[in-house]
Amino acid sequence: MDNLRIDALIIGGGIAGMQSALDLADQGFQVALVEREPSIGGRMITLSKVFPTLDCCSCITTPKMSAVAHHPNIHLLTYCEVQSVREHGTGFDISILQKPRYVDVSKCTGCRDCEYECPITVPSPFDRNLGAYRAIRVPFSTAVPQKAVLDPEYCLWCGKCEQVCPVEAIDFTQQPETFNIEAASIVMATGFDLTPMETKKEYGAGKLHNVIDPLMMERFLAPTGPYGRVLRPGDGKEPTSIAYVQCAGSRDETLNITYCSRVCCMYAIKQAMLISGALPMAEITIYYMDIRTFGKGYEQFYQNAKAMGVEFVRGKVASIKEDSDQNPIVKVEMTDIGEIVERTHDLVVLSQGIIPASSPILRGGSTQAVSLPLGSDGFIYVPAPDSAPCVTERAGIFVTGTAMGPMDIVDSIISASAAAAEASAYIRENGNRVEAHKEALYA
Amino acid sequence: MTVQNKTLSRGEILKHLRTQHPQAVERAQALLKEQKHMQQELCAFFREKPRTVPEAAQATGIPASKVLWFVAAMKKYGIVVEAGMCGDYPLYKKAEEN
Repeated sequence: MDNLRIDALIIGGGIAGMQSALDLADQGFQVALVEREPSIGGRMITLSKVFPTLDCCSCITTPKMSAVAHHPNIHLLTYCEVQSVREHGTGFDISILQKPRYVDVSKCTGCRDCEYECPITVPSPFDRNLGAYRAIRVPFSTAVPQKAVLDPEYCLWCGKCEQVCPVEAIDFTQQPETFNIEAASIVMATGFDLTPMETKKEYGAGKLHNVIDPLMMERFLAPTGPYGRVLRPGDGKEPTSIAYVQCAGSRDETLNITYCSRVCCMYAIKQAMLISGALPMAEITIYYMDIRTFGKGYEQFYQNAKAMGVEFVRGKVASIKEDSDQNPIVKVEMTDIGEIVERTHDLVVLSQGIIPASSPILRGGSTQAVSLPLGSDGFIYVPAPDSAPCVTERAGIFVTGTAMGPMDIVDSIISASAAAAEASAYIRENGNRVEAHKEALYA
Repeated sequence: MTVQNKTLSRGEILKHLRTQHPQAVERAQALLKEQKHMQQELCAFFREKPRTVPEAAQATGIPASKVLWFVAAMKKYGIVVEAGMCGDYPLYKKAEEN
């Protein structure tokens, strides 16, 4: 990989990063988008549908992924990690590590012959490890780029993939490689993670097979999910009683996560409605402290869910255990009637809190590579959230999406465009655009 | 992407990679052995007639969650297919071989 000189580096290829990249590139800026995974798409490409419109997530995300990949002003750098960021007079010198795919992307056609031939089946993080793929694979059906990647952690180095590849794309000689990018500005779009299940010991600490996280349910509800239907992971039963435990990792002083994660009420309601469609006979209960439906059309969405028969129980879940048939037993204090009751369900979904992504560049309480201070909540610190919500403490570095704090997809896209506008103004003001501009698409 | 000495033969490169990743190779070999055994057992079971995951778990002694994960993988790669429902459980059978 040759060194690059660009106007803006976007770190993170989720919906926010892609939107920022497209907005800047459409204005004629030269942009590089760095994604640590082998494909862009982020969390959103794994989701089933968006609330409150119930539009298909894949149908919204894949055109943007494709637009990023084909944009003449965007350099797409997948399977890359930011190693260091050094400030100089007019911008930043960024060191990037290109991890080896062991596949020549200029030859690979994404035919997946190698994947079908590979003898090792491994858990697929795209399916929250409930589904599987092979040690060499195309990450998922709509991955961009649609290229195979080999996982050296599971490879036998048997060479079967190389034997079947019709275009001789397998390249076992690839090594990690570092290259440099010189950029006038940076947009941080590093995304979010969920609070680890292990931290909630009273809810089984991640050891109960039929207590799952909400992203697992998203995969069950997606047409490309691991089972092709909603089944509980413990034994493959189609659940007839499903419960949601709200605030399972947010507004929780024991975890030092005192903030509201904002999206949990809405995604729980959305999933409940989708389950009602997929499993019409299923009883769905949402245990909540209070329902927060803050966005446009959200309250009506909540009322629709109630009208569809979703049961909303006001109460705090104290613990979850399981019976001999792996059915989760929820112990809940029902605050409306002042009673503590135990209820048995087939499947429980924990509405876990949103925390900053476990990106190496954000690990350790401060941004190691980018050297950005974090707020007390762990997200990137923004000095003036009311007037300049995307502007960080360091001139030329902007932040967008859930790297700023918990937010839904609509707000992520709005903040992405805001960050792009801030970056655009900064680059123009500082007069340090790269010389070889291509024409703005919409000039 | 930088390349190592391209003059090495294919076999030498693979051998070199195996020695570079000894723990990963050992883990992958153990996994392959386990998965081959599991696939043989499950395929033999699903070949007889359509069965549920708990039935397969009971017959093979493999935990039901693990059976489900492996059945999902086999379904993805066309080795087993769904064959209706038995109560609340989907039935699976061995896919017809070409």
